[in-house]
Amino acid sequence: MKFLHSMINKVRPTFEDGGSMEKFYPIFEATESFLFSTAEKTKSGPHIRDSIDIKRVMILVVVALIPCYIFGAINIGIQSGIAHGVERSVFQNFIFGMGFIFPIIAVTFITGGIWEVLFAVTRKHDIYEGFLVTCTLIPLVMPPTIPLWQVSLATTFGIVIGKEIFGGVGYNIFNPALVARAFIFFSHPTHISGEKVWVSAPDGFSGATALAVPAVIENANAVTLLNSVSQFDFSWWNMVMGTIPGSIGETNKILILIGALFLIVTKIASWRIMAGALIGLTGTAILTNIMAPLSSNTMLTLPAHYHLVMGGFMFGVVFMATEPVTSAHTNRGRWIYGILIGSLTVIIRSINPAYPEGTMLAILLMNAFAPLIDYFVIQAHMKARRLRYAK
Amino acid sequence: MDAGGGLGFKLTCVCLSGYVNQNPVKIHLTKGHNIRISGIPKREIISIGDPEKVALKPVEFRGIKPKLMVKEHDDVKLGQPLFFDKKNPDVSFASPGCGTVSAIHYGPKRIIKYIEITLKGEDSVQHGSVRFHDIGSVNRADVITRILSGGLWPLLKQRPFNMIADPNVAPRAIFISGYNSAPLTVDLDLALSEQTGPFQAGLNVLRRLTDGDVHLTVSEGTVSETLVNADGVRIHYVNGPHPAGNVGIHIHHIDPLNPGETIWTISAQHVVTLGTFFTTGEYDPSTIVTVGGPSVKNPIHIKGRSGMQISEMLKDRLQDGTSRIVSGDVLTGTEMEASGFMGYYDSTVSVIPDSDDREFLGLLRPGTSDSRYSLTNAFLSSNSDSYDFTTQTSGSERPMVPIGTWEHVLPMDIFPNALYRAILAEDFDEMEGLGLLECDEEDFALCSFSCPSKIDVGAVIRKGLDMMEKEG
Repeated sequence: MKFLHSMINKVRPTFEDGGSMEKFYPIFEATESFLFSTAEKTKSGPHIRDSIDIKRVMILVVVALIPCYIFGAINIGIQSGIAHGVERSVFQNFIFGMGFIFPIIAVTFITGGIWEVLFAVTRKHDIYEGFLVTCTLIPLVMPPTIPLWQVSLATTFGIVIGKEIFGGVGYNIFNPALVARAFIFFSHPTHISGEKVWVSAPDGFSGATALAVPAVIENANAVTLLNSVSQFDFSWWNMVMGTIPGSIGETNKILILIGALFLIVTKIASWRIMAGALIGLTGTAILTNIMAPLSSNTMLTLPAHYHLVMGGFMFGVVFMATEPVTSAHTNRGRWIYGILIGSLTVIIRSINPAYPEGTMLAILLMNAFAPLIDYFVIQAHMKARRLRYAK
Repeated sequence: MDAGGGLGFKLTCVCLSGYVNQNPVKIHLTKGHNIRISGIPKREIISIGDPEKVALKPVEFRGIKPKLMVKEHDDVKLGQPLFFDKKNPDVSFASPGCGTVSAIHYGPKRIIKYIEITLKGEDSVQHGSVRFHDIGSVNRADVITRILSGGLWPLLKQRPFNMIADPNVAPRAIFISGYNSAPLTVDLDLALSEQTGPFQAGLNVLRRLTDGDVHLTVSEGTVSETLVNADGVRIHYVNGPHPAGNVGIHIHHIDPLNPGETIWTISAQHVVTLGTFFTTGEYDPSTIVTVGGPSVKNPIHIKGRSGMQISEMLKDRLQDGTSRIVSGDVLTGTEMEASGFMGYYDSTVSVIPDSDDREFLGLLRPGTSDSRYSLTNAFLSSNSDSYDFTTQTSGSERPMVPIGTWEHVLPMDIFPNALYRAILAEDFDEMEGLGLLECDEEDFALCSFSCPSKIDVGAVIRKGLDMMEKEG
C-alpha cells in the first residue's frame, strides 16, 4: 500500500492550488479518501472524535440495500419465466435479472456521478457521498423494463432539481431518489405504471401489480379479488416473500425488514419514523375498512396487513422516509411525520385509484411538510419555555 | 422594619444552627456518554515538588481587557495582583507564585498571552484572616472586598455566558459541581479527602455571597465525607454518564436559568482555595491535577499548583512518538506546547497521539474495536473498554445529516439541531426561545464528538453566546 500512497502523494501537487489540475481537486480528494482514510486532525476541542462519518453512514445504507438488489434480479427472472412459461434455476434467474438491472445501475451511477462531480468542482467542495445512496436507490424504485434514457433523465432531474439547486446534501427538501421516480411517474407514466412495465414479457402480456387489482373493480372485497388472480400468487404470504411483479427492489418484505433492523441497530435510521408510519397505516386502514360499506370503492376493504406488504410502502418507509435530511429533525416531529406518511399512503391508494402507488407521493408530500411539523414542535417547545420564564 | 429585621435574623439563626437539606434533587440521566479513553489516572496522589516556573494567561479569561500591573524582571509575591480588568478595575488577578516576572509573552495585536514567573522564595501577600466560625458573620460587601483584594475574584464564574462573575450583581444562586465526569479528570472524592475544613470554609464564604441557595451536586456513588457531609448547602445527587458532572447540566435540572437572571459557579477545588484564603489570609495555589491519556505512561493524580508548567508534570511520563498535549480534558481543553502552562480553570493535562496513520480502504472494513470507537453500531465492534484515541477526525466535515447523535448525548431539554440552525441564521429571538442562555459550549462537547458530519457544535454554541452577549 506504501507504493499506492506514495503515488498519490506524487500527483497531489498537480491537484492542489496552483497545480495544472487544481479544478479537479474534489476528484482527487474523493479517490484519495476512498483508498485511504482521511488524514484530517481535530483543530480544537473536542480533540478526539467518534469513528463514525458520513461516508460510513452512506456505505451502510448501500449495504442494507444490496440484498434487495440480489432478490430483485432473481425476481425479474422468475416473473419473466412465468410470462414466457420458462423454468430457470435461481442462479439463471439472477443472471437474467442482472441483465436488466446492471445497465440501469450503470446509467444511474454515471449520470449521478457526473452531476455530483460537476457541482463539487464548481462549488469547490468535496464530492459528497450522499449521491452513492441516491444512485443506489434509484434503480430499486424503477420497473425492470424502464428505458435507459429515462433513467438518465430521471437521475439528472432527481439530483439537480431534487438536491443540488437547494445546495446539495444537507440542504435538500425532497428525497432525490423519489424526485427521480416522481419525474418519470408524471412525465412518462406509461413507462412506470400500468400493466406492461413490471415484467419482461411477450407483447400483449398484462401483468399488473397487486395494488392495481382492487383499484379497478368496484363493489368487491379486495382480499377475495387478490386471491382470485390466477396469473400471480397474490396471497398475503407470497407478497411478503416478494415473487410478485413490482419495482426492482420493493417486492421482498423480509429483506426490507432485515434492512430496517440493520439500520435501526446501527442507529442510522430513525425507528420513530418507521414505527409512526406503521401506526399511521394501520390506523387509517382500519378506518377505511369501517367506512367500506358506505362506498363502492374496493380499495377501502383492503386490510392493514395487506396494505403493509403491497406496493412500495415498506421499501419507501424504511429507506426513503427515514432519510435524515428530508425528514423531520425533532423526535416528536419524526413520530408525526411517520404517522402522516402511513396515513397518507392509505388515503392516496384508496381515494385515488389512478395513483395506486401512494407511498411515493405520501413521502414527497411529507418531505415538503417536515419543516412545518418541526416548526410546530419547536414553537410548542419555545412556548413551554416562555411559560416557565413567566413563572 | 423591625419585624423584617427580626425575621431575617431568626432565619439566619435557623440556618446556622442546623441547616436542613431541603428537597434534594436526584437527577437520573440516561443521555450522554462516558468516553472509554485509555490512560485513566490512577487513584493515587503523588507529589512532584515545586515547579521552576508558573504562569498566568490573560488570554484565557474571556471578555476582559487586561491591564498589566507588573513589568518584566519585577519581583512579585505570591498573591500579588499581576494585572486587572480595565472593564472592571476591581477585578485583579493574583500571582500564582513568588519570584521574578521572567517574561511577558505577547500575541498578535499585542494581546498578552502569558505572564511567566520564575519561582524563588516563599513570600506571599498577607490579608486579614477570619476564623472558621466567624465567616458566617462577615457581611456580603466585606466578603466581596476581601476576595477582590486577594486577586481571587476570577475563581467565581457566572452563567449565562460562563465568564468571570460580575461583583456588582447579586446571583440568584451559586452552583458547585462535586463530580467530574469528563474523561481523565480529577477524582474529587480523592482530591477533597483531606480538605474537609477548607472546603466547608469555602462553602460558608459562598453562602455570604447570595441570598439564594448554594447548590452542591455530587455523584450518587460518592463516598467523600467532605462532600456528603457539607453543611449549609443544598446537596443534590446525580447519576448518569458525562456530562452528568457539568454544572450547566445541574443548573438546568435543579433550578433553570431564566432570562435576566444570574447564577454563579465555582469549581469544587476552587472552593477549597477560597476557604483557605479566608481562614489563613493567604493565597494557596496548590491544587490536585491529573495527567492522563493514551500517550501517558503511569497516568496519575499529582499535587501541583495553579498555572504550573506542563513539562514538569510530564517528565518521564510521555510515550514515544508525536503527541498532542491538552490543558484541560480532551473534550474541551486547549492544545499546548510542553513548555506551556496549565490553564487557570484546568486541573487535567491530557496527552493523545498525533497519528498520521491512514488505513487502506478503511471505508469498507467492518471495523474492530482496536481501530474504531463509536456511539453508533456502524462497525462490527467499536466498544473497547480502553481505547487509544488519536487526534484524527476519522472523517471530513459535511453539512448536517441529523441521525440523532446530538440528542443522544445531550441530557437537556434543548433542541440542539434547531438551536444550531438558529445561531447560524443569527435569529436572536429563536436562540433565546430555544434556551441558548442555559447552554454552555462544554455541555455540547459530546455532540461534536459524536457528530458524523464532524461539525463543531460547541464552537457554534459559543458563537451564539458571544453574539447574544454583544447584543445585550
